[in-house]
Amino acid sequence: MKKAVASFLTAALLLAACGGGGGSSSSSTDNQGTGSPGSGTASSGSDKAPVTLRVAWWGGQSRHDYTLKVIELYKQKNPHVQIETEYASFDDYWKKLAPQAAANGLPDVFQMDYSYLSQYGGRGQLEDLGPYTKNGTINVQDINENTLSGGRIDGKLLAMNLGSNALGPTVDPQILQDAGITLKQDWTFADLDDIGAKLKAKGKLIASDLRHDVYFPYYLRSQGQHMYAADGTSLGYTDDKYFIDYYTMYQRWYDNGYFLPLDKLAQKKGTPEDDEMVLGNAAISFSWSNQYILAASTAKRPLDIVPLAQWNQNKPLFLKPSMFFSIAKSSKVKEEAAKFIDFFINDIDANKIIMGERGVPVSGKVKEALKPLLTPDQVKVFDYVSWVEQNSSQIDPPNPVGAVEVDKLLKDIAEQILYKKLTVEQGAAKFRQEANAILAKNKK
Amino acid sequence: MPADAPRLHFVSDEIGRGAGPGPRHGGESNVKLRDNDHVVGYVFAAPFILGFLIFTLYPIFSSLYYSFTDYNLFESPRWVGFDNFEKMFTADDKYWKSVSVTLTYVLASVPFRLAFALAVAMMLNKAFTGIGLYRSAYYLPSLIGGSVAVSIMWTQVFGDHGLVNSALALIGIHTDTSWIGNPSTALWTLIALSVWQFGSSMLIFLAGLKNIPNSYFEAASVDGANAIHRFFKITLPLLSPIILFNLIMQTISAFMTFTPAYIISRGEGGPLDNTLLYSLYLYRRAFQFYEMGYASAMAWVMLLVIAVIALVLFKTSKYWVHYEAKGER
Repeated sequence: MKKAVASFLTAALLLAACGGGGGSSSSSTDNQGTGSPGSGTASSGSDKAPVTLRVAWWGGQSRHDYTLKVIELYKQKNPHVQIETEYASFDDYWKKLAPQAAANGLPDVFQMDYSYLSQYGGRGQLEDLGPYTKNGTINVQDINENTLSGGRIDGKLLAMNLGSNALGPTVDPQILQDAGITLKQDWTFADLDDIGAKLKAKGKLIASDLRHDVYFPYYLRSQGQHMYAADGTSLGYTDDKYFIDYYTMYQRWYDNGYFLPLDKLAQKKGTPEDDEMVLGNAAISFSWSNQYILAASTAKRPLDIVPLAQWNQNKPLFLKPSMFFSIAKSSKVKEEAAKFIDFFINDIDANKIIMGERGVPVSGKVKEALKPLLTPDQVKVFDYVSWVEQNSSQIDPPNPVGAVEVDKLLKDIAEQILYKKLTVEQGAAKFRQEANAILAKNKK
Repeated sequence: MPADAPRLHFVSDEIGRGAGPGPRHGGESNVKLRDNDHVVGYVFAAPFILGFLIFTLYPIFSSLYYSFTDYNLFESPRWVGFDNFEKMFTADDKYWKSVSVTLTYVLASVPFRLAFALAVAMMLNKAFTGIGLYRSAYYLPSLIGGSVAVSIMWTQVFGDHGLVNSALALIGIHTDTSWIGNPSTALWTLIALSVWQFGSSMLIFLAGLKNIPNSYFEAASVDGANAIHRFFKITLPLLSPIILFNLIMQTISAFMTFTPAYIISRGEGGPLDNTLLYSLYLYRRAFQFYEMGYASAMAWVMLLVIAVIALVLFKTSKYWVHYEAKGER
């Protein structure tokens, strides 16, 4: 045992030594005239010092594929830049990022989500991009201030919006038609009872599920309520009625078999490849508008994007920055990282590869340049997002610190309700008390 | 310092060689060599010593400090005394859930694994052609058992369209539940995975079995003892020191199980927290909720509990462990 530990540690030290040697090779060869011929001449070719950027993002396989192409293009245009990539699915991405943050080893450029912005930004992990936009390294002239502001906390621009997004379910029109369903323009969650019954008769599901941390807050908005209080020290609602109403509906749909059983849902990776709608087992995938393109290209059959149920009650829809790029405060190559972000949001060629998959482009110029090139699927998404712009209200502020724990709590309690370990009423009370206890830590 | 012994040896060796060809001032070179000897020794030991100090000892003591603080990784730790421990024992239902899941896991997986290992070791303690092949084959799962790949394979085996359901379909039982996603069976798939990795205990049992002189069995047979008698009266008592060793090692490692539960439940410990092993809950507190202080406190409680259990096993061993040379204990 001890031997194993020792040899592992030795190996680790050796590796560390090699790694360090690699990084500082240019300086050491200067001192020693007798260095090997290969290493001495490596950097003399280009006038700019070689830089290595670490870039990280989450997504499904096709996002990985095209992002690697964008990176390839960047490397062609900037031969002095080497780029190391790290990518994973959404849930795994955040589990990987936290230890990196703890170890002061965040990637130089990494994708950031609205729900994690205060967690990372509020605790000083993210570089303020303001100076880079002022000195022109990141060009924001063609970007609307409203589009930028989602990435601001306390006046600091901690994350650069990569695209606009809205909740918009992807539906399979064929399955709906086969079941004799026409979705009303102003449908509501209550209509899911009827829709679910008709689909079940055909052996199909409505959807795999409705993500608790997304659709319960959305339902609250449709009732004129909010998930979190503005100061982030408690939940935004005090009456358990909303929780009870929503999860009574949810439990009924689940018990009737309109959603995927929990034991199967637990094994889902959350990528388009294993989405129940894409696989042809469900009529709807409750997702974000930008995910439509991936779903459509993975499913390889005509799909449609429709307004989310409940949209005309209190305007619960909102435009959301689909995802951001942030620069780590600990990065040693912030200037180069900022140049990469600028390229990603402003370069026309790069965006011809991205094609709005990360949300409708934030730059007006890019949007114009892409318009003639869009496929019918992409046009649908661009149109839907501009429709939402007219039929939505302001997005809730970024989730407060502790929201990750509250989201987990909501998921746990919802599962206990669906497994009948708790009644909906018990769940509602338990969730409110425990969530408020978690959020109370934010009181200063 | 025990380092005296090798030094003495080297000195005498040098004196011995001093008598050979080549002029040398014995005293001076002795001193030099003595120092060299130390330096060389420490240089060779340095990777381990450094590694131990930096990667083991320092983290251990800093985690002891953190366990008395509120530490979210991003801001400096704030001293809170025994708050973490108090919250853990009095106000955290999940904590007790994870304790009960872990105890179930340990109490089920360790005895099953040891029994299985002993049974296979007895079978492999025979001489027949290809025995070497069988021994390697049965050891193989242990070599790869703790790895991520095997855990992923396990999700396939026990998944809704997995091997187990296909096998059940062959004998006429048609089901498409996911054994991993079902709250009442999920933990048992983890226990099965643990039992499947019986190889290292098996190897140690096998070595123990080989040490039992055949003449005992022959004598017992002559006196009319059947196989069951021979097993309980000869094999088990003579093997009991090995069983104690295996029991302690396996109990400790079972308490620390993390990878399979993490991979199979996708880091959630689900369904309904039924695979929320202690280490998994600790990981969640540390790296998902950023509560390093709380997680450190959990780790120290775990350490103390394991230490106490190991001590109890040692203390009770005198009632059931049989040592042949009684006087030497």
